Amino acid sequence: MRTGHFKESYGQLVALSDSPVAWSWAGFGIALLIAAPLVAHNYFLTLMVAAMIAVIGAVGLNMLTGTTGLISLGQSGFLAVGAYTNAILMMDYGWPVLLSLPAAGLVAALVSLLVGVPSLRLKGLYLAITTLAFAFIINHLILHNEWLTHGPNGIFVSGAKILDLEIQRGRPLYYFVLAVTVLVIVFALNLQRSRIGRAWLAIRDHDIAARVMGIDLVRYKLLAFMVSSFIVGIAGGLISLQIRFINIDVFALILSIEALAMIILGGLGSIAGAALGAVFLSFLPEAIRYVFALFGDPNSTVYTTYVYEIRGISYGVVIVLFLRFKPDGLIGLWRDARKYWSNWPLAY
Amino acid sequence: MRMRIIALSAALLASSAVFAADPGVTDTEIRIGDVNIMTGPASFIGRAVSLGSKIAASEINANGGVNGRDIVIVTEDDGYVPSRSFQALTKLIEVDEIFALNGTSGTANVLAMMPLIEENNLPTVVTTAPNELIYNPVRPSVFTIGASYEDAFFGQLKYIHENLEPENAVYGIIRQEDDFGVTVEAGYDRAVREFGLKDGIRLHYTRGTTNFATEVAQMNAAGVNVLANGAIIAGAANVLSEARKLGMEAQVAAVWSENMPPSVGLSAPAGYDYLVGDYVALTGPAVDEFLERARQYVSEEELAGLNRYTYVTYIGLKVLAHAMEQCGQELTRTCTVEQLRQIRDFDTQGLSGAISFDNDEQLSGTAIAIYQLNAADKTFKALTDFVEY
Repeated sequence: MRTGHFKESYGQLVALSDSPVAWSWAGFGIALLIAAPLVAHNYFLTLMVAAMIAVIGAVGLNMLTGTTGLISLGQSGFLAVGAYTNAILMMDYGWPVLLSLPAAGLVAALVSLLVGVPSLRLKGLYLAITTLAFAFIINHLILHNEWLTHGPNGIFVSGAKILDLEIQRGRPLYYFVLAVTVLVIVFALNLQRSRIGRAWLAIRDHDIAARVMGIDLVRYKLLAFMVSSFIVGIAGGLISLQIRFINIDVFALILSIEALAMIILGGLGSIAGAALGAVFLSFLPEAIRYVFALFGDPNSTVYTTYVYEIRGISYGVVIVLFLRFKPDGLIGLWRDARKYWSNWPLAY
Repeated sequence: MRMRIIALSAALLASSAVFAADPGVTDTEIRIGDVNIMTGPASFIGRAVSLGSKIAASEINANGGVNGRDIVIVTEDDGYVPSRSFQALTKLIEVDEIFALNGTSGTANVLAMMPLIEENNLPTVVTTAPNELIYNPVRPSVFTIGASYEDAFFGQLKYIHENLEPENAVYGIIRQEDDFGVTVEAGYDRAVREFGLKDGIRLHYTRGTTNFATEVAQMNAAGVNVLANGAIIAGAANVLSEARKLGMEAQVAAVWSENMPPSVGLSAPAGYDYLVGDYVALTGPAVDEFLERARQYVSEEELAGLNRYTYVTYIGLKVLAHAMEQCGQELTRTCTVEQLRQIRDFDTQGLSGAISFDNDEQLSGTAIAIYQLNAADKTFKALTDFVEY
């Protein structure tokens, strides 16, 4: 039975995990994900790709909102910036995807400065509304700069290749997105435990106290905006690769709300929670569909007329019930289970 | 021994023929996909679209199916979100193994599905988003039914100019800031150019806007008395309601979504006998006969949700079934696409102009009829027959 954790060096303190069991589980999980396409259906792979992109976006938002405490409703705008940058560079300028995708993140990060600077003195709802306004502005800019963005017509995104391998569908897309997801999660985990991550946590807990401790609020808040937007921009670029068509309708404001729901449902401030929340919300409609398929007669009038609305309501009800009975989110559930298992048979 | 080899070869050939058959076709059924807006504020459109497929399929099946095979409709909801349309069609292709696609939702949604449609050579009839972006460039397996919003607005403004124009007419337009709004303004622009109309004001608004008080006040100040109302449903009703508040007397041209009962219910109280241009019939014996037939296959509750979108999807499936029938028992996607391409003057029994896909754009049903609302009793009367603009 484990009795506690003792760190004897800074190296131990900043290590990703000191538990061989945790490393084994992580390795097992990645091995499962690598093996999944060998047995899984193409539709399942499509859902997995969408879920992994959601994980990337949620991890990015978590850095800003969960770790730094800066609430943002502008994620749909940053997703759009990333997606359009990737699409324009690939289709209009012939950039390879290995350059256009990082560029998508970089442009989103630079654009985030535009919203970051005026937002430095704002917190809470005021910041949320400012970032929401940013998403509106992005929509307008995309619609009205047709020479660059193709305006309302949108852009078809095709021909993304790595070493002559087409990567926009099936297994190649799955493995590509999986690789990016793992990179983003490892990057976020490391960053959160670095000086920067600790500064962000201090700002979240009490920004005035953090300032007194010598943390440069301007620098670290802007950095949070930039790093978060870089990751969200990458997620946007990946959306453009998966769907293969983007226009402004793809980046509706509801995406910002969904992203917030993911990190809250997963457990605010936790990277694992953000990932769990994203996967949970991505697969929840499928789970509800499965349950309905078990009990519904697809030929009945009631089924054909109302099933979609009922499914939509069920989606909301599950989220409400979950937050009511598990306010710590999925990560809280996981921690409870782990504690129970670690302390067994003395679990309480 | 020789007989066994022949029998084995025959069995192998037969099995390879089975494997070579396109998905979605068995000896007894053909699965047709339908990706639609079944949830959210626009779900009444999606339900009407699905109803069209359901009525057409029931009617075809009751008459022996397509060469003995029943049509089965598989519907997926996209909530009017393009990324969900992509996911829904992926499911229909990979899990439900549909043979062809009939119901589709908005323009951006169809475009999001287009790469999948093209790489699967999926015979697709687009009936609810007749936007130029769908048929230009032409995709081999995609066939579009419907006129453009450009023609619909041009036709209405032409009618107003020739028959209903008030004295000192000043024209004005309000339209959405997206691909749909652009085509609405193109029709307005063409009318202004061709007839030398006095162009008072052009206003754009963001999708989702619900309060048009400022825009209508600007219209009033510009002296607009012929209004091209490019807003839709609740937005269109709000524009008219604001105009009535300001006491504006105007001839109004509207989007074809404004002939649906829910839209009429919202807009009629403002008291404007507005015009709509549509590529399907709204009144007359064709509609009465259709409703009579529909009663056999759907419940009264479903019938109450029926609107113009039901007619267009009904026509779409009828055309698709006709093409599949021409392929005989050896039904393949390639053959169906080829047969769709050859369709000429397909009779829709008066529900729209005749359908012909034997043109470069694989586009048909582009003729527009102009209708006028009687706001008092919420009925429409036809002002013109179907005319190409």
